[in-house]
Amino acid sequence: MRALARWVWLVAANDLRLEARSRGRLVSMAAFAVLAGLLFGFALDRSAVAGRDVAAALLWLIVLFASMGGAGRTFDPDEEDGAFRHLLLTPIPRHALFLGKMAAHLALVWIVAALSFVSVTAFLGVRGVGSPLAHMAALLPGTIGIAAVGTLLGRISRHSTLGDTLLPVLALPLLVPAVLFGATASARVFLERPWPEISGAVRVLWAFALVAVVAGAALFRHLTDE
Amino acid sequence: MSRRARAVGLALTTAGVAVVLFSHWMMAFWVPTEAAQGVVQRIFYVHVPAAWSCFLAIGIAALASAAYLWLEDERADSAAVSAAEGAIVFGAIMLISGPLWGRIAWGTYWTWEPRLTLTLLLWFIYVGYFLVRGSVSDARRGRRLAAVVAVVGALFIPLIHVSVLHFRSLHPGPVVLKSEGPTLHPDMLATLLVSFLGFAMLFLGLFTFRYAVERLRWRMAAAAPPPGGGAGGFG
Repeated sequence: MRALARWVWLVAANDLRLEARSRGRLVSMAAFAVLAGLLFGFALDRSAVAGRDVAAALLWLIVLFASMGGAGRTFDPDEEDGAFRHLLLTPIPRHALFLGKMAAHLALVWIVAALSFVSVTAFLGVRGVGSPLAHMAALLPGTIGIAAVGTLLGRISRHSTLGDTLLPVLALPLLVPAVLFGATASARVFLERPWPEISGAVRVLWAFALVAVVAGAALFRHLTDE
Repeated sequence: MSRRARAVGLALTTAGVAVVLFSHWMMAFWVPTEAAQGVVQRIFYVHVPAAWSCFLAIGIAALASAAYLWLEDERADSAAVSAAEGAIVFGAIMLISGPLWGRIAWGTYWTWEPRLTLTLLLWFIYVGYFLVRGSVSDARRGRRLAAVVAVVGALFIPLIHVSVLHFRSLHPGPVVLKSEGPTLHPDMLATLLVSFLGFAMLFLGLFTFRYAVERLRWRMAAAAPPPGGGAGGFG
């Protein structure tokens, strides 16, 4: 277990170090999160729709699309100069490789989720956002599931001649439960509903995250047959 | 195509068509009309068996895909692609017959309630299976990637079930697969089961034909001399 954690940390740290140098993926995901919140703020007629009523749905959609944008490029740095082939020659187990890649992508998704939250609540003029802890309780499992599915399918779309257009076709149907239950949980947090009304959706989000991570870790070795 | 495959496929398809026709006679002339919904409820005898056959096909596709990933046996891949095509066809019947009933029962062809939405999405996942299969230049890799999509797609099914439990839904609840036993009128249950038997045999017959064709294509590709003079392969 300790060895697995070490491999995961090494892969994730390497990816995050590369990202810190280039900042390409994070900047584009973050810019999307802020601009999407801004555009929704302009587009919504707030005399007809209260910002708090739609904030949860917009928050989850922005997180979803921003993470999809990043997932398609999860393996880009490794493909240069055949670095991914060299990575496969190391003794790092395939599932640790997946978990490391996913963890690095998840770190970016969390930054984007935080930015999206600020952007949506600020631009939609939402007052009284509910408990920050309850928002985190909903976003944590949802983003883990989104990052796991994105990392797995991002690898598949890399091999396709359809490229980045394939990723949303594959990922969006799979990620709808995360958005559906995530938006439900977040909407109830925005409305300051009691925890028992939120916990059911959060439990489903954890189940989704667990299935996504275990499936990703188990199946990733079939996507690395270079 | 081998004689045995042709005989089995022909027997299953013919029997399936005959039983489906018989079930249509039952739903038109024999089964009692449901008191609350009236005659429109009879779409149920097409919609539900199509849904069950679709899920049967998805189950076979997922198991065969998992077997292909595990064993790398091309026969498992042939079974997976044959079942996945069945899932698309029977899923389409389910997705078309459901709204026809909904138009009269709910007053709308489509409503964005969880079970409908997620079933449509499941269908799209299997469309994605064929997109992956057809869009990867290395055929062997394409088969492996598509198998991963099929397995992940099948894992999605429990979430459809959970979504029904967690959300208030317009979709009718289960009337057959219940812990306390079916709550359908016995004649309705008999019609439903006969219809399902017909749909299942039809699916298995078409599956057998499709599998035999797929194996034939493999053998032809293996027998054909490749451009470089190396071992034959199939794309």
